Amino acid sequence: MLVAATADPRVKRTYALAEAKRVSNQLKEENKEVIEKIADNFNWKLKTIENRSSAPSLDFTLRFTDFVKNAATIQDKKWKLINRILLKGEVYLTKAEVSRLLEEEVRRYIEGKLETKVGELPPNLMTRVERLKQLFFQKRGRTGWEEAPKEIVIMAYPPCIKSLYDTLSSGRHLSHIGRFTLTTFLVNIGMTVESVIDLFRALSDFNERMTRYQVEHIAGGRGSRTKYIPPRCDTLRTHGVCPGMDEICKTIRHPLGYYRRKIRVVRAEAPATSRV
Amino acid sequence: MSKIETKAFIQERFAEYYKTKSSNIQPPTRMENREFAFLIFKEKIMLRHKGFKNAENLRNLLKNVAPSDVYYSSAHYERPEEEMEEKGWLGADLIFDIDADHIPTPCNKQHDTWTCNKCGATGRGPPPEGCPQCGEQRFDDKTWPCEVCLESAKEETIKLVDVLTRDFGLSSDEVNVAFSGHRGYHVHVENEVIQTLDQVARKEIVDYIVGVGLEPQLLGVEGGSGPNLDDPGWRGRIAKGTYDFLNTATFTQLAEIGLKKSAVKTLVTQRARVLESWRDRGPWKVLKGVGSEGWRRVVQKAVEEQSVKIDTVVTTDIHRLIRLTDTLHGKTGLKKTAVAISDVEEFDPLKGAIAFKEGVIKITVSEAPKFTLGERTYGPYKDLEVELPTAAALFLLCKGAARVAEEIVHV
Repeated sequence: MLVAATADPRVKRTYALAEAKRVSNQLKEENKEVIEKIADNFNWKLKTIENRSSAPSLDFTLRFTDFVKNAATIQDKKWKLINRILLKGEVYLTKAEVSRLLEEEVRRYIEGKLETKVGELPPNLMTRVERLKQLFFQKRGRTGWEEAPKEIVIMAYPPCIKSLYDTLSSGRHLSHIGRFTLTTFLVNIGMTVESVIDLFRALSDFNERMTRYQVEHIAGGRGSRTKYIPPRCDTLRTHGVCPGMDEICKTIRHPLGYYRRKIRVVRAEAPATSRV
Repeated sequence: MSKIETKAFIQERFAEYYKTKSSNIQPPTRMENREFAFLIFKEKIMLRHKGFKNAENLRNLLKNVAPSDVYYSSAHYERPEEEMEEKGWLGADLIFDIDADHIPTPCNKQHDTWTCNKCGATGRGPPPEGCPQCGEQRFDDKTWPCEVCLESAKEETIKLVDVLTRDFGLSSDEVNVAFSGHRGYHVHVENEVIQTLDQVARKEIVDYIVGVGLEPQLLGVEGGSGPNLDDPGWRGRIAKGTYDFLNTATFTQLAEIGLKKSAVKTLVTQRARVLESWRDRGPWKVLKGVGSEGWRRVVQKAVEEQSVKIDTVVTTDIHRLIRLTDTLHGKTGLKKTAVAISDVEEFDPLKGAIAFKEGVIKITVSEAPKFTLGERTYGPYKDLEVELPTAAALFLLCKGAARVAEEIVHV
């Protein structure tokens, strides 16, 4: 309740993750029956592999929908569905892997629970909530996502954006997802709506009214007021937007992450002006 | 007849179809939770956010409006008639779109034409990178459904159904296949558990089907028991793709995937040994001189061959509109036609999807490549007045390749 009362998404996320990790650590010690019971609680279709002669190291099969719901957010390649044995809708897993997936389920469950709005609390409790928040930020630092620097550094564009940018500037056709990726990227690194619209002028089917509407919408200026961000790297790979990775790509998961990192590299390489 | 009159003529034919055949048109499941949308002939605008409580109301609209295209949402909503943000998303069917546009086909699409936006130069096949005359990179293109394109799309559909039933364990009554009425097929999955999956989870399913993110080592390549031909899922597909490729690959083809000279030489000279190795554990550990990087490239090639060419955007979109079965396609006059899974192999879309079976129409064709429809082959035509069976004539009219000369018979 105290955590929910902080109404801070980062405090909540951290708490949920810690709780989930605790549960998952305990699960590693438990036997299969206990794991099955917990999975059952979350309506998972989990079955013990009876005949283990064909798959000696694997303990369970899990319905693929339960698998993707929980594994899709884990980054390691071994959690991609394509790298698993999938047969008749069942994914084959070890006990440790099932525990790890349950951790995700627990984390989301707790996060969901923490979404409830806590009303006004008695003053002594409120001081505790404030204290909790303070402690959290002392440990974490307040910044979180750095603000992107104001000036635009074309040299720091990731390969995907570079390629989309070149295609567009030469007036060639871009897919819908290509346009969305480029626009969200540019808006997020601080390009003005006007400059983005100007880029689209090169297209033969350019329509100022439509383009303005769409770019403003993405920038959070119209209707929904949400500011959109570009899709993550793996989404761009799915839709064939990723042209292939360079060295920096291997260390990031998001085009904006690439930009922030590359800017530091670009700056470091730039000659320092103060020196004589 | 003018262009506008031709359009009105097409709409009249569509209206006839809906007046006589609409009782055959079945609404989707949970129709009261779906959004319906109609592309209107005259204004070329989309009538959206329509809701229907029963099949009769929907059929009446089709008869009265005779739209050029009819769609419904793959999603289910609490309030399908509201604006997007207000609809209340409940879930969505899993849909796949397989279109010749996304598949490299053996016909090389020589029936398609492009026109340069700047100098007006024209050519056949998919548009080039730059116009050979003026260097321009923007084109207008006209596409045709040909038998070869449609056959390729069908092969992909069969591959997809195989993955969905064998790997994903879906039953044949959850997987519905239909010819789209133009250049491809739709596969529509209705399953209680899948309905609530979000975009991230659907992306994982898409990656599985198109082979994105596959890590050869995690699937046993170079391990003790490498993938073999009778393995299930992607292990088996890797083996099959590798088998097919290495069995026939020439020096050039092997070099093209970036193999070192020595590896190419090994794979060609030791082909018999590779073939023999499949009796046991595959070629992965048998050959010296191919190496990790080499196998990685071979497997990549195998994955490309075995992956299913679907439109990835459609499947990850949880608000997509999809054409209603047994309604007409505005670009062809053919109808979207359901095909039972067991019949897909035998199905001929250029016969099975014909909606207009009677009468003839006299038309003036500006230009059309040779094409097949029903039992007959037509064309090629250029600036020619011809009298064709209704389906063939309407096909050319809808494609914008002809105008009505005069209506002779009209049954």
